[in-house]
Amino acid sequence: MQMPAAYEVAPDDFGEGHHTTTGLSNTKLGMWAFLGSECLLFGGLISTYMLYRGRVAAGPGPEDVFDIPFTSISSFVLLMSSLTMVLAVVSIAQGDLKRFRTWVLTTAFLGAVFVSGQAYEFTVFYREGLGFTTSLFSSSFYVLTGFHGVHVTFGIMMLLALFGLSLRGRLGVGQAETVEIVGLYWHFVDIVWIVIFTVVYLIPA
Amino acid sequence: MSRRRDARRWLLAVGVGLVLVLTACAEDAPQDTLQPKGPEAQTIHNLIVPIFVVAGVVGLLVFAAVAFVMVKYRAGKFHATDVPEQVHGNPKLEIGWTILPAIIMAAIAVPTVSVIFDLASKPTDAMEINVVGQQWWWEFDYPGTNVVTANEIVIPAGEPVVVNITSRDVIHSFWVPGLNGKKDAVPGRTSSITIQADEPGRYMGACTEYCGLSHANMRIVAVALTPDDFDEWLANQETAAAAPTGADARAGLEVFNGRGCGACHMIDGAGVTQQPQVVPLVSGVAPNLTHLMSRDVFAGAMFPLKNPDGTLNRPLLEAWLRNSPAMKPMYPQGGRGMPAQGLTEQQIDDLVAYLSTLK
Amino acid sequence: MAIVEQDRPAGPLALPAGDGEHREREPLGVFSRPVHARGWRSWLFTVDHKRIGIMYGAAALFFLILGGVPALLIRAQLAGPNGTVLTADQYNQVMTMHGTVMIFLVVMPIGACFINYLVPLQIGARDVAFPRLNALSFWTFLFGGLFLNLSWILGGAPDGGWFSYAPNTGVVFSPTHGMDFWALTIIITGIASSVGAVNLIVTMLNMRAPGMSLMRMPIFTWMALVTQFLLLFAIPVLTVAAFLLFFDRRFGANFFDVSQGADPLLWQHLFWIFGHPEVYLMILPAFGIVSEVLPVFARKPLFGYPFVVFSGVAIAFMGFGVWAHHMFASGLGPVSVAAFALATMFIAVPTGVKIINWVATMWGGRLKFDPAMLFAIALVLQFTLGGLSGVTHAIAPADTQQTDTYYIVAHFHYVLFGGALFGFVAGWYFWWPKVFGYKLNRTLGLVHFWWMVIGFNLTFGFMHILGLQGMPRRIYTYADGMGWNLWNMVSTAGAFILATSFIVFFVNIFVSRKHKTHEVDPWDARSIEWMTSSPPPAHNFDEIPVVHHLDEFWYRKYAEDDDGQLVQIATGDEVYRKELAQAEQDHAAEHMHMPSVSYWPIVFSAGLPLVGLGMIFNLGLAVLGGLVSLVALFGWVLEPSVAPEDSHGPAPASEEEAVSVG
Repeated sequence: MQMPAAYEVAPDDFGEGHHTTTGLSNTKLGMWAFLGSECLLFGGLISTYMLYRGRVAAGPGPEDVFDIPFTSISSFVLLMSSLTMVLAVVSIAQGDLKRFRTWVLTTAFLGAVFVSGQAYEFTVFYREGLGFTTSLFSSSFYVLTGFHGVHVTFGIMMLLALFGLSLRGRLGVGQAETVEIVGLYWHFVDIVWIVIFTVVYLIPA
Repeated sequence: MSRRRDARRWLLAVGVGLVLVLTACAEDAPQDTLQPKGPEAQTIHNLIVPIFVVAGVVGLLVFAAVAFVMVKYRAGKFHATDVPEQVHGNPKLEIGWTILPAIIMAAIAVPTVSVIFDLASKPTDAMEINVVGQQWWWEFDYPGTNVVTANEIVIPAGEPVVVNITSRDVIHSFWVPGLNGKKDAVPGRTSSITIQADEPGRYMGACTEYCGLSHANMRIVAVALTPDDFDEWLANQETAAAAPTGADARAGLEVFNGRGCGACHMIDGAGVTQQPQVVPLVSGVAPNLTHLMSRDVFAGAMFPLKNPDGTLNRPLLEAWLRNSPAMKPMYPQGGRGMPAQGLTEQQIDDLVAYLSTLK
Repeated sequence: MAIVEQDRPAGPLALPAGDGEHREREPLGVFSRPVHARGWRSWLFTVDHKRIGIMYGAAALFFLILGGVPALLIRAQLAGPNGTVLTADQYNQVMTMHGTVMIFLVVMPIGACFINYLVPLQIGARDVAFPRLNALSFWTFLFGGLFLNLSWILGGAPDGGWFSYAPNTGVVFSPTHGMDFWALTIIITGIASSVGAVNLIVTMLNMRAPGMSLMRMPIFTWMALVTQFLLLFAIPVLTVAAFLLFFDRRFGANFFDVSQGADPLLWQHLFWIFGHPEVYLMILPAFGIVSEVLPVFARKPLFGYPFVVFSGVAIAFMGFGVWAHHMFASGLGPVSVAAFALATMFIAVPTGVKIINWVATMWGGRLKFDPAMLFAIALVLQFTLGGLSGVTHAIAPADTQQTDTYYIVAHFHYVLFGGALFGFVAGWYFWWPKVFGYKLNRTLGLVHFWWMVIGFNLTFGFMHILGLQGMPRRIYTYADGMGWNLWNMVSTAGAFILATSFIVFFVNIFVSRKHKTHEVDPWDARSIEWMTSSPPPAHNFDEIPVVHHLDEFWYRKYAEDDDGQLVQIATGDEVYRKELAQAEQDHAAEHMHMPSVSYWPIVFSAGLPLVGLGMIFNLGLAVLGGLVSLVALFGWVLEPSVAPEDSHGPAPASEEEAVSVG
């Protein structure tokens, strides 16, 4: 569409937020809003699990299948990934691309370890007779942790995308905020896992 | 001229018609919510009528205010260049009319809460009836007896009756507006309400939670009898069905057994009080026919079983036996509702003869 | 006064004066971004909030027909006892689709139509924060709606009611694919709503014109902001419910299988935690419209603006705490029932405040009764009736007599149709000249108004009586002798009057469109969306206005003379021309670059119904749909944020990267 060749849109109207009404950039505010929405999504899933966790029908119950030490380790790995994410954000802000790549890959790797742990755990549970359709407990457990796992996987994709962008030279100090926003998402997914881990594994039914 | 007279005649006709229409409000509606027939319904009625009045007054005030403003401040009355005063608000007024509805609401809230708790309290040592909803009919089970009946809930007049409501498949809702408000029949849960009819009579009700295909045909009749009549009714219900005597009735019993009707329908009912249980595919549970002829309706209270003079309504019952899904939308291939039986006319006649003996 | 400038596109419906599909290769080759698209393609790939708003409205009117025909079928079936127009099964499908389509594909999108079009204009922004996400919202909604309606021809429409109470919606009780379509539609349109909510919240919070503090925002924008927050927090809960239902149906999970010990009330809680905020997010945009229309036609500011704003916010907050009043009969226990009854009563307070403020706004004004004003007044009165019957539902014991009867049907049609839809029609009459450059014919508008008011009240008014006489909802037929025959007949007659009133509206659009005047300020309006040409240029304002007051535009037209009398100092047209001159002086020889068109939103959205169909029929199709969306995602991330035609320096990195991947 042809513009009257006379006027300039202030660039801050589109994303590259240097000046917005609130002072937060659009993308950051958008991410916060999105995470607020996600809270309700997980709230619904966690409530469903809380309601059904004791209803095991004839299948195995939580105490029969959960391997608390194993899941604790994978949870610890995920928590550590939050730390490496912070380091990645700091490095990009300082313009140290090399360190940034190291940390962002480490974060993605730790996330992948967590997801692999979850996949392994699911397989073990399945072998022990806890199928998706076995009982209310199993359905709600798999749906809750599965949704979280999908969120982690999306996070890993975003981290890898950041890594790829930095290799192509499309990510520099100017785009540090993009990394920060991916970091917000990553920390959120971590915090949700702390809640899920507590509710599902630590509190006895 | 004549046209004008015609017009006048038309106007008169329309006017008379309008009057008739408005009086139709008072037409007899057997399921009316505004005609309480028992103390619980009366309690609700006493609560809501004043609130209707308050709401009506508030509504009239708003309408009057808008009408007044529209007449008084229409632009045509003023000069075109006249700009009204730009009033942005008036905090005192604003706070006033924030508090005012709050006060009205508080005044309404107090009796509401007390009525909620009143209606929730169970009367002690009242008679209980277990009500089970099922696609698309109601079962009534009298605990402590072997009486299981369907579609007509028979209660003694003048006494409170606690009904414990549950469902075997989807959510239904038990509602006899003359006796109390509705209560959902939720599978896996039991909820109780108290109903009471002051006078003997028949009170209409219906399932009011959408429950699939034939939701519209899942009706209820509450039959209130004088305590003496009720005892008599109960005693009769507790007896087993007598063996048929006539040849055709005996043939009918053979059809009943030979066709496997007993897989779903019980006759005799001795010692059987079905515990409400969830059967996702509802086969094996259908109305108890032991005393079918003591009821006036069948098929989810959808059809009259008797003529107004109390004799059997043969054509309807025969049609039902001939092809039940044609008469009532059901889902027999999924085990929900009575399938067509493919009976010969002779078998139908025999069956009706047998069923007629089940008094 | 026609103002047509050579260098301004003639309007949203005109072909853009581009120079063809000019493209430039990016380093990445594949993912270049087109600068222009011509003709119909310019609509498919547009990211302009105004065009998206118009498309929302057009799509919603299309779905209004798809939801309205079922409504007429319902009324035809119920005109008399033992109707034979529809079978029970057909009736249940038609009833479910009427509810689902009207809620999710008509009322919510019309709200989105107004919000998309008006919000950036009202806050003095060039566009929304994330223009491509805006396009994605629209296409996702449209494809989701079409996907739902495919169910008619793919084995039967959903038949569980719009509320889809479990376990009646499980495979056992609803074996057709209808409920699968329903659940997936809820998920797809939920994506559209959530993305839109994030986008518009950011727009409203971050992109206001200089000087526009929150309490100088036009009231419609305020209500839009509240609406988007409601969407943001309500939609995910419904999404969870729809997922659980779909897992039950497709993969044999047992969230609602009572024989496994499931609790059917879980569905009701999840559904209504969404469902009650939902009803407020449907009505609040209409409240915003009325709060804009009344002051203009009364020539007075909105009375008690802060109170109207905060009552909107209060309604939103309280709206999340009253969901169980839809479940008074489900056996919650007296304590819960009492708590929710009280909460519900007190939500009437902020609503009442709004109504009184509207009356006070008109009080002492100079009322002009154009169609927009009449529709707005009709909203005030009809919503009052609906609100009052709503208060009677809050009385929980009374609600046990009223719920699931036609009294409820009457109530929510009075607030949704007599409220929301009347408000939307008022908004159409009001903003039409701004959007399309011509006024809708006044006489036809008056005919439309009276026809619609009469039809509406005939249809739904007597349903109050029907409900109190004990007629249950959702029944495909009723017996003779229940005392319901007469009012059902009246209601059916009313429904057909109501339906034909929309024909008057469409005729009006058709007739009026030849009389384009391009007036800047046809109504002597108050807010800044009127301070630009009609229709507005792609970049909305030649000069972003600096805001000093609520009702900024009004204060540029009127001032007090020496005697303290208000007099007009300029016409709207003069104000606009002044701005134009200022803009030309300030920005000579500078460039304006707006976000360019993009292929990827529509491609991404097209993948979603494919995934949906795949989940129902054939997983291979789902994989294909997923790939389509994935490719679109890559294209999205990698295309530059503006076409590399006239950018200053290097193209900035894509602004939606982080959000779009997440």
